[in-house]
Amino acid sequence: MEERPNALLLKFPGTNCDGETARALEVAGFVTEVLPITRVTELALEAAHLVVLSGGFSYGDYVMAGRLAQLETERKLGDSLIRFRDKGGYLLGICNGFQILTKLGFLPRGSLINNTSGRFICHWTGLKREVSGNPFMNGLPESFELPVAHAEGRFIAPEGAAKSYLAKGLVALTYSSDINGSSSAIAGLTDESGRVLGLMPHPERFLWACNHYDPDWQGDGSEWGWGYMMFKSIHDTIAAELAVVSV
Amino acid sequence: MAILTAEVISEFDGKVDANKLVYAPLNENASYQKTRVYFIEYAGKVTDAEQFVKRTLVDSYAEDVSFGCEPVLSGFAFFIDYGMKPGALDLEREAILASHRGARDKAMEILSLKLTQRIYIFSDGGVAPERFIRDVCNSAIHVWSVTDANDRDVA
Repeated sequence: MEERPNALLLKFPGTNCDGETARALEVAGFVTEVLPITRVTELALEAAHLVVLSGGFSYGDYVMAGRLAQLETERKLGDSLIRFRDKGGYLLGICNGFQILTKLGFLPRGSLINNTSGRFICHWTGLKREVSGNPFMNGLPESFELPVAHAEGRFIAPEGAAKSYLAKGLVALTYSSDINGSSSAIAGLTDESGRVLGLMPHPERFLWACNHYDPDWQGDGSEWGWGYMMFKSIHDTIAAELAVVSV
Repeated sequence: MAILTAEVISEFDGKVDANKLVYAPLNENASYQKTRVYFIEYAGKVTDAEQFVKRTLVDSYAEDVSFGCEPVLSGFAFFIDYGMKPGALDLEREAILASHRGARDKAMEILSLKLTQRIYIFSDGGVAPERFIRDVCNSAIHVWSVTDANDRDVA
């Protein structure tokens, strides 16, 4: 029987998208475990193929979004997450998870700060896929839509860096319009290995076509939404790797 | 035992129309800028306390920190400092303290922590602080002070 990949979803106090994200992972085919950060161990990481940090307001977003979660993760896991990635593991950070991964240093240098409007935004947005062959992006069209919901989603980088990230293929997603003031309209970043992805939009909120705001939305003609494609893409990538290993 | 005052300012968020702070339009032209101020009573070396601030409370890509009591901005009409009342549950303070307590290699001890939001008001006209206090501060949970450009407490 085909081995199902394992996903480990790390949960912090204030994480609130873990339920939908765990469901999305299960629907895509992962065996999913949700663990509070206080209970995570290196052993749990070893059993996982994908580690996910979902959206929410970890530690109330106090000080700045993701900072206290970053400190707690560093304390609890030390270099374990780095070793996990270096051994071929995949990391996905959605919204608050993106903020945490950025602060942990898994993604190109920069920070996610208050939207230029100074307000929380919550709506659907157009996105452009900027990379091809990324394990999280197979099956996604060049342009698609996902919901966003954030107050601190403006990605800023050291002078000139954002454009270099685009040139180097580290920008996975851009917004099709300027919704929050992000440098180079960056909505999602990947690392040089392509095994780490952070994005502000919420793919777990668009699993099925019926989640779309337009009841007549057709998409690719299937019952699935674009968010599902993202989870399916990383699932299929890992499943293919496991199949090769088992042979 | 010593006290470190740290004021954190965004490098990206500048002055904004002060009408955003109040419920009814102002009669005067005014703008504002926000910062955060931390008052940390600690036991240990000042360099360790400053390091704690930089590592925990400041975003190195997006913010600057200034240590000391001097306001980081100038040219303001006045600034309002407001924070939680003593005895009220300040969840942000508790989260920071809990995070520090959980640190393995603490080079310094935090004995007490007070944090306030600081709003600088800039105006050419005679804009008064009362409107801002009424609409920004909540007397049920906040305490506040107003300091003018001459460093006088005016409210």
